[in-house]
Amino acid sequence: MDVQQAAEDLRRRTLSEIPRSLDRLIYLASMRDYNTGLYYHDGLASRFTQEVACEALADCHREAFRDLVGSPLRGLVCQMEGYMDSTHTSPGEFLTAWKKLEPYRVAVPVETDPLSAEFLFSSFKIALAILEARLRPAPAAPDA
Amino acid sequence: MIQLILILAFGALCLSSLYFLARRTPRAEGGSGPLVEARQALQALRSGLLPPELIARIFARADLEYVLSEVPENVRPLFMEERKKIALSWVNQVRRQILLLRRFYLGSARSYARLSFRTEIALALDFAALLFACRALQVALYVRGPFAVPGMVETTAAVAARVCKVYEESLAFLSPAQLGALADRSAGAARL
Repeated sequence: MDVQQAAEDLRRRTLSEIPRSLDRLIYLASMRDYNTGLYYHDGLASRFTQEVACEALADCHREAFRDLVGSPLRGLVCQMEGYMDSTHTSPGEFLTAWKKLEPYRVAVPVETDPLSAEFLFSSFKIALAILEARLRPAPAAPDA
Repeated sequence: MIQLILILAFGALCLSSLYFLARRTPRAEGGSGPLVEARQALQALRSGLLPPELIARIFARADLEYVLSEVPENVRPLFMEERKKIALSWVNQVRRQILLLRRFYLGSARSYARLSFRTEIALALDFAALLFACRALQVALYVRGPFAVPGMVETTAAVAARVCKVYEESLAFLSPAQLGALADRSAGAARL
């Protein structure tokens, strides 16, 4: 029950300010310690307990992941475009970095089923290619 | 003297038979390994491979229509290639898990599962149909791509879900605690 309350608190106070699932996924992944897999959020831990806060963050992380997996390709492209704009880096740099580093691979929750994760990675790859093709259109074929 | 030797030889034979029978007993009862493996296969099918929303996303025609109508042409081959890869991965994983379930069914099911003769026959037919459907789907996806055979995808997923349901019902008598104990025992046996 506490975990549900903490998750609701997190949704109301923090996640409601982050409208896109992609941004929420990245934000929640950033709250996780890479060495232990545990999530930390001081504000939430002070209102509940560290364990409850950790579980609530994990729940919300899984929820953001499910939302993204369920999102149509068109929606995913829009989300990525919005996220790219929000980073204030140049689109070219952003696309190059994301294609090379594939940061989304470390942003999925633990114990995610492998096929869903692979599907999301594949969709990200397609979305990046779409954004890149819009940014740098292929040269038109010369007229015969 | 000869009688004594014969009696001792007979005794040794009896003891060695008993020893081998005792060694064989756990295997004849199925061991816990195949059962745990079967439960894991069921779990993988139920939560990872057969949720209708995931299947709908992998084979979504709306994505194809979006790519064909609004996306630069040079991205289309990548889209088709990626979706084909995921679709093939899906069917391969379904097939692998079904093979695990069938192995359990052929080897140990009678020791654990309460299957009636009629259910056994129905399961055998479902396994045969499902493995054939998976193979046919692999070929179709490979040759015609991920959006050309929605009917085959639906049928395969439906039969796989039916097999899972029968298995779940037949193994329902095992509580999670019992299953945990079996998994521990199985891990312990594997270490020895």
